[in-house]
Amino acid sequence: MDELKDRSIHHTTIKICDDLRNSNQYQNLYEDIQKLVSTSSVRLDDFKSTLLRAMQETGLEADLRNKIYRWVKTKKKESNPYDAFFRKAQIHWDKRIHKSLNSMSSELGISLAKSRGNSEKEELLSKWNELSNFETDIHKYRPVYAPKDFLEVLLALKGPSKERDCHKWEFAQLPLKVKNLSELRNVYVEISRGDQILNSNSLSNNNQNFAIFEAERVALGEKILAKNYAPLAQEYLKRGCPKGLRARLWTLLLGAEVKSPQINYFETLKHNVLHYDLMIDKLIIKDINLTASNDDQYFVFEDVLYQVMLCFSRDSEILKQLPNQPAFMQVVLKGRPNTTENTLVFPPSGVIPFHGFTMYAAPFCYLFNNSTELYFVFRAFYLRYWHRLHRVCASSQGIVALCLQFEKLLQCYEPSLWNHFKKCRIHPLRVVIKWIMRAFSGHLPPEQLLALWDSILAYDSLEIVPLLAVVIVVFRKDNLMKVNTLANIEAVLADLSSIAVVPLLQMALMKDGTA
Amino acid sequence: MKISFCTDLDKSVVVANCEKRGWLQVGPEDDWNVYWAGTQTCRSLFSVDSGYRMNDNQIINHFPNHYEISRKDLLVKNIKRYRRDLEKEGNIMAERGDSKYLHLDFIPVTFVLPADYNMFVEEYRKAPQSTWIMKPCGRSQGSGIFLINKLSKLKRWSRESKTPFQQQLTKESYVISKYIDNPLLIGGKKFDLRLYVLVTSFRPLKAYQFKLGFCRFCTVKYDSSVAELDNMYVHLTNVSVQKHGGEYNSLHGGKMSVQNLRLYLESTRGKQVTEKLFDQISWLIIHSLKAIAPVISTDRHCFECYGYDIIIDNKLKPWLIEVNASPSLTSTTANDRILKHKLLDNIFNIVVPPTGTPDVRWNKIPLPEALGDFELLIDEDLVSLNENGESGFSRNNSKWK
Repeated sequence: MDELKDRSIHHTTIKICDDLRNSNQYQNLYEDIQKLVSTSSVRLDDFKSTLLRAMQETGLEADLRNKIYRWVKTKKKESNPYDAFFRKAQIHWDKRIHKSLNSMSSELGISLAKSRGNSEKEELLSKWNELSNFETDIHKYRPVYAPKDFLEVLLALKGPSKERDCHKWEFAQLPLKVKNLSELRNVYVEISRGDQILNSNSLSNNNQNFAIFEAERVALGEKILAKNYAPLAQEYLKRGCPKGLRARLWTLLLGAEVKSPQINYFETLKHNVLHYDLMIDKLIIKDINLTASNDDQYFVFEDVLYQVMLCFSRDSEILKQLPNQPAFMQVVLKGRPNTTENTLVFPPSGVIPFHGFTMYAAPFCYLFNNSTELYFVFRAFYLRYWHRLHRVCASSQGIVALCLQFEKLLQCYEPSLWNHFKKCRIHPLRVVIKWIMRAFSGHLPPEQLLALWDSILAYDSLEIVPLLAVVIVVFRKDNLMKVNTLANIEAVLADLSSIAVVPLLQMALMKDGTA
Repeated sequence: MKISFCTDLDKSVVVANCEKRGWLQVGPEDDWNVYWAGTQTCRSLFSVDSGYRMNDNQIINHFPNHYEISRKDLLVKNIKRYRRDLEKEGNIMAERGDSKYLHLDFIPVTFVLPADYNMFVEEYRKAPQSTWIMKPCGRSQGSGIFLINKLSKLKRWSRESKTPFQQQLTKESYVISKYIDNPLLIGGKKFDLRLYVLVTSFRPLKAYQFKLGFCRFCTVKYDSSVAELDNMYVHLTNVSVQKHGGEYNSLHGGKMSVQNLRLYLESTRGKQVTEKLFDQISWLIIHSLKAIAPVISTDRHCFECYGYDIIIDNKLKPWLIEVNASPSLTSTTANDRILKHKLLDNIFNIVVPPTGTPDVRWNKIPLPEALGDFELLIDEDLVSLNENGESGFSRNNSKWK
C-alpha cells in the first residue's frame, strides 16, 4: 500500500517537473536559480542544503511552491460518465456558431480574415490608446448570440437517457449532481458561521469596530503579500478583501505577475491585432459598444477594454489551455494561396464572444491602471472560471450544473415562487441566465461584484453565483408574486444597485431550519 | 396643520418630493411654508421694496446674498480675505511655506480682471509657460470660457472686445485662474467632481455633505498641447458643454458616481491617499464656507444647497473651481434622477424639524436618522457643546475646528 502511494507521488512529481519544464515561466525560474547558484551563499561542498536555504531567503522557494499550488488547481479533474454526451452537445453548438459566422461573413461580403493594409495598420497603431476613435463601420454587425439563445440550447439538452420525452421546462432530467443548501453551508463555512467579513459596503461602514477590523485585515493581507504565498492568499479572501490589496492578492493567487516575458507576449498579441484584420474584431468592438460604452460604471474604461479584448482574441494560449479543446475554425487569409502558413485558427483564442462577453473583463478596470497587468489577471480568470460559463460541459463548475443548482435550490426552498413562475409559463432561469453567464458583471455595482468575485477565488468555485441568484430572487419574492408577465418580472429584478452581496448570502446560509 | 409649498422652478423632482410629503402646492401670493425659489425670486423677496415679512413657519432655499459664494470673483475675494484675517490673528491654519499657504491653498491662483490686471501680469511673468483660464464672473455652464497661454492673446482679446478694459469695468468682469494642467485622468479622460453641500445656518455654521456626488467626464481624451487649447470638449467638463459634442452618450451622460471613483482610487492607489483626498475635500468645503460666513446676511428662514465643482490633480490634490447656488436639478440620466430625488428628499428631512412643520425657532439640530445620505460636516453649536464637555454626540467635528 505504502509502496503504491510512494509510486503515485513519484509519478505526480515527474508529471509536475515535466509540466513545469514545458511552461513558459520555466526559463525565468531556471535563470533565477542559476544566478543564485553562482552567488557565494551556495556552496559546492553542501550544495543541496545551501541552495535550499538560499532559495528560501530570496523568495524563490515561495515562487516554486506557488507554481505547484497553481498546477494542482489546473489539474483538478473530475470525470463524469456523461462527458461524451455534453461534449457532443458543445460541438454541435460550436458548429452552429461557426455557421452563423460564415453566413454573416458572406451576407456582409466581408472576409473572416485578411492582412491589414499599411495605412490602416498605422492608423490603428497611432490610436492604440484611444481605440474608441478608430473609425470602423459596425452598424451592420449583430452579436452572434445572447445569453437567452444559449439558454435555449441548454434547455434543449434532452439528457443522455432518452427514455422520457422531456418537456422543455426543467433541467432536472440531467444526470448531474449538484449541492443542496446544507452541502453549500459546509463549503461556505465562514459565511454560514456568520464570521465577520469585510464586506466592502462603504456606505454603512462608519463605526469604530469596523475600522479596527479593517486595519487588522490590511495588516494580515500585507503580511501574506510579503510572504508571497498563494494558498494563504486564497484562504485570506474568505473573510473579505480590503480594496487597496485586492489587485495584488488576486495577482498572487492566480500567478498573473507581469514580468518581461509577459510584457513581450502582450506586445506580440498587439502586433497580431495590428497585422491581421479579423471579422471577430468588429464583433468585439460591437460588444464593447453595446455594453461598456453605455454603462455609467465602465464607459470611462472603454479604451482599455478595446485593447484587452482585441488582444485576447489573438491569444492562442487560451485555446491550448482550455480543457476539452473547443472545436475551432480554420480560415485562409483573403487573397492568399491555401497553404498552411496562410491558414490561421479563427479566432486564434478559439473564443467567439457572445453579447456581454466584454463584461468578463470590465470589472478588472477598477483594479489595474496598466492594461498588461489587467490582461493577465483577466486571462487567468477566464481560464479558471469564465470559459465554463458559456460552454456546455458536465463539470460541476459548468453552466449546466450551475443552472441546475439554481433550479433545485429555488424548487426546494421557495416552491411557491417556483410554482408562480410555472403558472406564468416563464422559466425562472430565463430571467437570471444573464446574471449567471456573466457572473453578475454589469448587473451588480462594481464594489459588490468584486466582493462576489473575492469569494469565487476564495472557495475556488462558481457555485456561489447561482446561490446568489436564488437569494436575490427570493429576496424580491413579494414583488415577484404580484406580477405575471416576463416584462414585469424582469422589471422587478432589473435594478441590483441596492444589493449587498455578503449580508444577503449570510442571510441565506445562516438561516436555521429548513435544510 | 397642513403644510404648503411653492416653487417657481418647473422641476418635477421638486414637486414630486413635496407632494410625496403631503404638502399642498400654492402660488407665491398665498401662504406658503416652504418656498423652492430661483435666486432672482429670492432676492426680490428679501429686498426692501418688496415689504414681504416672513413668519416663523416659513423657510426658503436661498440666502439673500448667496452670490458671495457663487460669483467667481466674490468667492476668490472672500477666500483671500479669510486667509489674510487668519494670518493677522496669527492662526496656525494660515501658516505659509514657500510663500504659499500650506493649509488653505485650495483654489488655483486667481485674479479679477480688469481690476487686478497688474497683479496678474506680475504673477504671469513668474512662469510664462503656464496656461491660464478666463471665465466671465457672472455666467455659468461653461459659457464665455477660454484658455490663454500667451499674454499677447489676452491683449488681443481685450482689444477685440469692443470697449477697452477700463470702460468694461461696469459691464462684465472676468476672473483669470491658473489652469490645472495636470488633472487626474481616468481612462485618459479629464473629469471634475460635482458634490452637494447643504447649509442650514452660517452663524453658527451648520453644513452637511451629500455622499452621492458624481464625476463629469470630458468625452474626448485629455491633451494639454497648444493645438487643443481651443477645443473645449477636451478641457471643460460641464454637461451643458459636453452635450453638444458628437461623442456624448445620453445613457450615462458622462457621469460616474463618486463611490465608484473612490473604489477605483482605493484599488489602484491605496486607502491612505484616497482617504486623505476625501478629507481634504471636506476641509476645503468647510473653509470656503467659513470664508463667506461673515459676509452672508444670515436669516433664520434660509437654507441653501450648493453644487461644489472640484478638480483633482494627478497628485491627488483637490482644487475648488467654483460653487453654484442653484445646482441643476434637471436629470440627464436615470441614475441622475434617482440621485436628485434622494438629494431633495434628504434636504427636506434636514431642514424641516421632527414635528414636520417648518419652524425658525427650532435649534436646527436634526436627528441622526434624518440625515439620510448627508453627512455632518460641521455644526458649530455641537462643537461648542463639546468644548463645554456637555455632550459627545458629534462624530468627527473636532477634526474641523
